[in-house]
Amino acid sequence: MKGRTAIVGVGRTPYSRARPGERRHTIDELIAWAADLALDHAGMSKTDFDGQGLAVAHAEAAHTVNWAAATAENLGLSPKALLRGDQGGASAAALLIRASAMIEAGIVDRFLVVGADTPLSIPSVAPGLPLSPERTRGVYWDFQGPFGIMGATAQFALAQRRYMEDCGITARQLARIAVTTRDHAVLNPAAIYRKPYTTEDYLASRMLSDPIRLFDCVPMVNGGLAYIVTSAETARSVAARPAYLLGHGEVTNFYAGPRSHPDITRTGFLQTGPEAFAMAGIGPRDVDVFLPYDDYPFVVMLQLEHYGFCGPGAGGHFVETTDLSFAGDLPLSTDGGQLSGGQPGGAIGGFMPLVEAVTQIRGEAEARQVRGAEIALASGFGGISYARNARSCVSIVLGAEGRSQ
Amino acid sequence: MNDTATETPKPEITDQTRPFWEAAREGRLVMQKCAACGTVNFPPKPWCIDCGCRDLPWTTVGPGGTVYSWTISRSVAMNWPGWTGQLPVVMALVDVDGGARTYAQVIDCAPEDIRTGLRLVVTMVPVGEDVFIPKFRPAA
Ligand SMILES: [Zn+2]
Repeated sequence: MKGRTAIVGVGRTPYSRARPGERRHTIDELIAWAADLALDHAGMSKTDFDGQGLAVAHAEAAHTVNWAAATAENLGLSPKALLRGDQGGASAAALLIRASAMIEAGIVDRFLVVGADTPLSIPSVAPGLPLSPERTRGVYWDFQGPFGIMGATAQFALAQRRYMEDCGITARQLARIAVTTRDHAVLNPAAIYRKPYTTEDYLASRMLSDPIRLFDCVPMVNGGLAYIVTSAETARSVAARPAYLLGHGEVTNFYAGPRSHPDITRTGFLQTGPEAFAMAGIGPRDVDVFLPYDDYPFVVMLQLEHYGFCGPGAGGHFVETTDLSFAGDLPLSTDGGQLSGGQPGGAIGGFMPLVEAVTQIRGEAEARQVRGAEIALASGFGGISYARNARSCVSIVLGAEGRSQ
Repeated sequence: MNDTATETPKPEITDQTRPFWEAAREGRLVMQKCAACGTVNFPPKPWCIDCGCRDLPWTTVGPGGTVYSWTISRSVAMNWPGWTGQLPVVMALVDVDGGARTYAQVIDCAPEDIRTGLRLVVTMVPVGEDVFIPKFRPAA
């Protein structure tokens, strides 16, 4: 599949913290806005997508049984192929794999892939219930919320604690990742938080659920994102610099060790990273820019280890001795990531690594441009399983023309 | 459905999960132990997550357990004011003796006393009419 499809356009709406006086856009408005930006970026128009593919990432607020079809109706599109992403923060990356497979199979030539969410605007259906009723339907919930888990932060804190203890990771080392994202957000006008902070500021931020602090958490925003993926042939005719899909790997519900007592510090990226690298014919040293799904700094550090940028347990030492800036040894989350850029809901933030990967490969990242960025590694991370860690782990390698053979 | 915002969340008891809640009321912690391969499944599963066998008899586990990891929740993240009065809430992943891993609140334990490897004992705590939740306290 290497190099047979490419992303030729991306779009990201301005993000909103839904402050008083700001216009509250609906999810459909944000989807249309992001799609408009992506079409413009690709030099395509809405009419190019009748009889083609439409893929829609499930939003927190989407309580319908035919969300993707309803989105097609609202956009006035008549797609031949319709996909709905259902993997939270891994949806955008997983949809790239699905769409590319359908393009390679000759069913369609191109897909418009969209997602938006408005976590700051949808009212909670009832005090204490997660926003989406669908989230409460799992049997697991009755053994989670009533047992004292008050949200994802507590769940991630349990994984982070075990990782820090097993590997001797310090808060100061995790701060290196958080500060790096903020430094990059300063350079990205689209990021939501752009005031620089220091390691000391990070350490002083309020403890929410030990060892997770306020500055470990993503700020929620309302926003939408989109990308367009097409065959390599079409890509060469429409885009000056397509970002080719060179490799991918995917796993959901990965186990490390006995299923009743798995090692929760080992994620599915241990499996999907090598798969994606093998398909692309590269190794970690060939990565020019690394765009991990970054809902918490320790999730980034785990990925640094699991992708093989450093050895197991060596993530803390690695971030102390590696320049992670856009001009450094391993440029990391150059858009500011979700940590400083904002997370448009837990299901849509997964578009951001792909959008930034394409922006870097096209040389359009302006003040944060990585020189000679030809190979980008992006990841999608979807949800957290009961008493475990990452539910879906998707790895994507994108590359510039000339790296696709 | 929970009718008041002043409490902590309650489980919805179904035919699938009723044996767990009935045992909890009697002071026993039970989990589904696969009749074919012996894997303990928790939370309740429709078939064994290891071998796919649908014969998963509820089996008494514990009462002891060991802390696999822990956190101290210092703010209420999901809108349940009922937790506010209990903050800080000591939470753990507990490897139950003879069972599987579960989320659990650790009570009668100061935040500075919780640690990985700490031995615990289960205790069933009423959280509403006829509903008991397994919580753990440090073993004597
Ligand atoms: Zn079994």
